Amino acid sequence: MNQITKEMRDLARELLASGEVKGLIGWTKGSRWYLTPPVVITQPEEAEQLYFDQFAVNNLTGLLLDYRYGDDKIALFVKGCDSRGIVRLLQDHQIKRDNVLVIGVPCMGMSDKKAVTDPRQPAELPLLDKCLECRYPNPVIADRLISGALVSGEPSEPKGLTASEAAKRGVGSKQADRFAQVKAIEAMSADEKYAFWQAQHEKCFRCYACRNICPACNCRECIFESDKKGWVNKSATPTDNAFFAVTRAMHVAGRCVECGECERVCPMDIPIMALNRKVIQDINELFGESDAGTDLDGKMPLGLFKNDDPEEFM
Amino acid sequence: MSAVDNPKQPAKEWEPNIVGFACNWCTYAGADLAGLSRMQYPPNVKLVRVPCSGRTNPQFVLRAFQKGADAVLVAGCHPGDCHYATGNYFTRRRYLLMQRMLEFMGIDPRRFQARWISGSEAPKFRDVVTQMTEEIKALGPNRKLREEI
Repeated sequence: MNQITKEMRDLARELLASGEVKGLIGWTKGSRWYLTPPVVITQPEEAEQLYFDQFAVNNLTGLLLDYRYGDDKIALFVKGCDSRGIVRLLQDHQIKRDNVLVIGVPCMGMSDKKAVTDPRQPAELPLLDKCLECRYPNPVIADRLISGALVSGEPSEPKGLTASEAAKRGVGSKQADRFAQVKAIEAMSADEKYAFWQAQHEKCFRCYACRNICPACNCRECIFESDKKGWVNKSATPTDNAFFAVTRAMHVAGRCVECGECERVCPMDIPIMALNRKVIQDINELFGESDAGTDLDGKMPLGLFKNDDPEEFM
Repeated sequence: MSAVDNPKQPAKEWEPNIVGFACNWCTYAGADLAGLSRMQYPPNVKLVRVPCSGRTNPQFVLRAFQKGADAVLVAGCHPGDCHYATGNYFTRRRYLLMQRMLEFMGIDPRRFQARWISGSEAPKFRDVVTQMTEEIKALGPNRKLREEI
């Protein structure tokens, strides 16, 4: 059992036994060596279920939405990328600060389970692309820290117990390339772009996995769930999927925390982050650089304006 | 009735279908003034009156394309003149992004335009509509994002 798992269990036991929190969200050992899914525990003795390794990739912050109407205090573990989701939910007034206890963990970079060739044979796997592009490996917000994790609101090097391992595996080594895919698509002609995206939209079958895992997609009622909006179609045709994809990207515009979970959970491998990154790139160019979900007092770019914003519409 | 059914009627030239979202306080009044002043402009723009250009959800634009629009125009008060003080500043940010997003999707950016037209700028309204109609005529019908019937 690794050191982080041990410290997780000890802290969870302490928090639940003292009654400081009513429940705790963490990760547990899955049914295969490359699975570390989320788990919710409410009893101190259940702390033994907790587990952490390089497959604990799920962003747990979205699960807090299940508790948004309650008054119970919930603890959860966050890696650097996940912690920006906490800021997202707090800024969107979805959770109360007093009702959540954020525990920061150091991150060694998450492995890509799509690279598994033999489900029975543990093997070395490459890092997920989003971890290679990671700029916030340390939590930006935390009440407790384990295994030497450090809070940092700025882009930083991996810290804590796994810092050397993270550096060795190359966490953040491709930060500069995070807009590479956007640039590649931008370089296409209009018809090539359309053909590229139509091929993606043809794959989508509206499972809404991207929406469900997203900490920025926290509307009480999603417009794609409503049956009263005559102008929103739910059918999974390429045109309606394009409508969904653009709408989703515009709804999280300026609020996306770049955790990359939408793209990871997509069963059809649609490059969803390319849309989010496109919006982020344009916001940076047009309205000044900003990273959503890194500062509790930070303003959302589409929720404010400047008198001297670029003027193209005359 | 198509030209085949009625040979006496010559086949009509294709005309672009442009949907315009006009803010109640400026652009709609400007369009009204253009009409009152008997200005000539192409009848291709169908105006939808909205309380403020900030009311136009990006989904309105997408829906218009889905339902067969060849181009979409969003028009409102000049920045600084908004009836609600700040609505059009948000419109400006939103549609700067939306126009780039549509281009990223493979839609010609000329098919989506935003313009500031005040209540007294009837000639500007006429010019914008005329120019847009000519541009879209040159581009031809839009098939992208359209719902298949």
